[in-house]
Amino acid sequence: MNLSTKSRYGIRALTNILDQDCCCSVKTIAHKEHISVTYLEKIFAKLKKAGILKVERGANGGYALNRDPSQITLKEVINALEKPEFICPDFCDCQSKSIWHQIQSRFNQVLSSLTLDNLKTDNNKLVYFDYAASTPVDPQVLSFMLPYFDFSFSGNTSSLHQFGLKAAQAVEDSRAIFAQILNSSPDEIVFTSSATESNNTVLKGVAWTNKDKGKHIIISSIEHDCVRQSANWLKTMGFEITEIPVNKEGLIDFKFLESNIRPDTILVSIIHGNNEIGTIQDIAKIGKLCHSRGVYFHTDASQSFTKLPLDVQKMNIDFLTASSHKIYGPKGVGLLYIKSGSKITPLLHGGGHELGFRSSTVNPPLIVGFAKAAQIAIDQMKQENTRLSQVRDYLIKNILKTIPNTHLNGSIKSRLSNNVNISFAKIEGESLQLSLDLYGIACSTGSACSSHSLEPSHVLLALGLRAEQAHSSIRFSLGRFTKKSDIDYLLKILPGEVSKLRKLSPFK
Amino acid sequence: MNTIVGYSKKVLEHFRNPHNFGSIDNPTSLGQVGNPACGDVMKLYLKIDKNKQNQDFISDIKFETMGCAAAIATSSAVTDLAKGKTLEEAIALDNKDVVKALEYLPSIKIHCSLLAIDALNEAIYNYYQQTKHPISKSLQKKHNRITICQTLLNH
Repeated sequence: MNLSTKSRYGIRALTNILDQDCCCSVKTIAHKEHISVTYLEKIFAKLKKAGILKVERGANGGYALNRDPSQITLKEVINALEKPEFICPDFCDCQSKSIWHQIQSRFNQVLSSLTLDNLKTDNNKLVYFDYAASTPVDPQVLSFMLPYFDFSFSGNTSSLHQFGLKAAQAVEDSRAIFAQILNSSPDEIVFTSSATESNNTVLKGVAWTNKDKGKHIIISSIEHDCVRQSANWLKTMGFEITEIPVNKEGLIDFKFLESNIRPDTILVSIIHGNNEIGTIQDIAKIGKLCHSRGVYFHTDASQSFTKLPLDVQKMNIDFLTASSHKIYGPKGVGLLYIKSGSKITPLLHGGGHELGFRSSTVNPPLIVGFAKAAQIAIDQMKQENTRLSQVRDYLIKNILKTIPNTHLNGSIKSRLSNNVNISFAKIEGESLQLSLDLYGIACSTGSACSSHSLEPSHVLLALGLRAEQAHSSIRFSLGRFTKKSDIDYLLKILPGEVSKLRKLSPFK
Repeated sequence: MNTIVGYSKKVLEHFRNPHNFGSIDNPTSLGQVGNPACGDVMKLYLKIDKNKQNQDFISDIKFETMGCAAAIATSSAVTDLAKGKTLEEAIALDNKDVVKALEYLPSIKIHCSLLAIDALNEAIYNYYQQTKHPISKSLQKKHNRITICQTLLNH
C-alpha cells in the first residue's frame, strides 16, 4: 500500500512549517518542495478544515500549526487528506478478511502513536565534532577495563602478595605496549594523571634539575596552555623563556629556533600536532637539531599520538607527552616518555612509584584502558587517517564553497586528519557554537572566549590573525564515530545559522 | 531543542529570536559601543518622538550586535526595556534591570549587560547633544567613562 500523493505532499509541507517554527506562506513551501501552489492550497484547506492548520494574517502571515505539534497525530493528518484502507469491502467474505482487519487496526495504532513531533527533522539528533577536546571511551576499551575493577586486581601494585602482583603485571603489560608503539624501552614510560601533568613535569622537572647548566627554555608560540603557563611560572622563578614564532600556517620558524639555542638553553618544547589548528611540526628535524646542540627536546603529542607515527629514537625525542582521553581511552590517565638517563626531578614525591618519577598509587584499570585504546588506534591508524582526511577535506571544501567570507586557519598540507578550524567573518565564535549546540551539534570556539577567558586564542593570534578574526573562529574536530552523514547534517544547518548571525551584526 | 547549561531559558529565547533587531532608516539617534577586537560590538538605533505630555520618548528602537549569545540577548532585552519609555525613564535603567529581564547571566557575561546599557546611554547622550538639551552630571560621567574605555580599546 502507498500513501497518496496528497498525503505525502501534505506531510512534507508540514515538516517545513515545523522547521520554521513560525508561519509559512504556501508559495514558499510549494516552491521549496516543487509542488504546484494551487495543489498545495487545496491540501492546506483540508488540513485547516480538520483543525490542524490555522491562517495568520498580516505581513508575516501564512499557515501555522493550530495546536502544539505533540498534540497532532499522523492519523489525523492522513485521515484529513485520505482514508488509507486495508480492509476488504463489506460484501467480501474472503478467508483473508480478518488479517486485513488486523493490519488496519495496527496501522491506525501506529499512526495514532506518532505525532508531528516525530516528524521534526533531526529532532534530538546529536552530532559530536569536538574529538580534539575529548573522545568517548570506545566500548571495546570499557569492556576490557571492567575486569580490572574486580577484587582479584584490587591490590596495590606495590604490594608483594598475589593481589598486588596481579595488578602490577597488568600495568607492566600496558607499559610494554606503549614502549613498542614509541620504540622505547618499557622503563622509559611513566604513567601520569594527564597530559597537563606530563607537560608540567617536563618543564618544571627539567628546569629544576638543569638550572646549573642554564636557565633558558624555548617553546613555540602555539603551545597548549599547560606548557605555556608552566613556562610563565618558570619565568617568575628566574628562568628565561623564548617563544618561537610560527608562519601563517602554524609551522615554526626553524631558523629562529636554530639561532636561538644558546649554551645556557636546557630545553626545547614544541607541540607535535596543534590542538586548535591541527598543524603538524616536523619534530624529527627539530629533534635532530636539539640533539646535535646537546639540548633536551620535549614534544607534546597529545593530539598526534596514535594518529601519526612516532619513534622516539629515530626522532631524537627526550620527553614525550600523550593522553588517554584523546584516543578513546578513559579520562584521568596520560603518559610521559622519559629517555633513560635524562636529568629530571619528579613533581610528586612519595612512595617512589613509576620508577620514582611519579609517586602515587598506580591505577591499573585506567592504565590498561589507555593501553587497549592505544592498541586499537594504532591498528586502525593508516586506514582511519585516510578516511578522516577525506571527510575533513569534504567539510572544509563545502564550508568554504557555500559560506562567503570564511577562511581556513592552519595548514592545508601539514594538518591532523581530524582538524577543521574556520573563521566566519563578522560573527563571534561563541554565538555560532551555541546556535549549533541548539541543533545538537557540538564543536568548540577557536578562541577560548567561551567560558574561562575572554581573550582571543594565542594560537590564532600567533598565525597573524587579528583579534576579531580570532574571535570569529570555530573548531570542528572529527573522530572515529564521525560519519559523512554527520557532516551533511552540519552543512545543512551551518549556512543558515551563519547568515542569521551576520544579519544581526552591525558590520555588513 | 536541547537546553544549554549556563545560559538561562530567557537568554536562549532572546538569542534564538531576538526582539527589535535590524536598523531604523533615519534614526533620531545612534549609540555604538564595544570593539571588534574584544568580540562585542553593539549598535542601537533610536526613534524619539514627543508623547502626549510633550516629553521625549523612545517610539522605536532597534539593535545590531556582533558578539556572543549573551551580547545578543542583552541587546534584545534592553530594546524591550527601553521601548516606549521617556528618555528620563530610559536613562534610569541599569544593567541589573537587563540581568533581571534575562533571569540570570553567568558572571563572566555580566559585562554584556553593562555594554547594552552603555549603548542606550550613548544613544540618549548623542540625542541630547544634537538637540542642545542639558546633560545631567551622571550621564556626562557615564559618557566620559564609555569614551575612555573605547579609546583604550582602540589602541
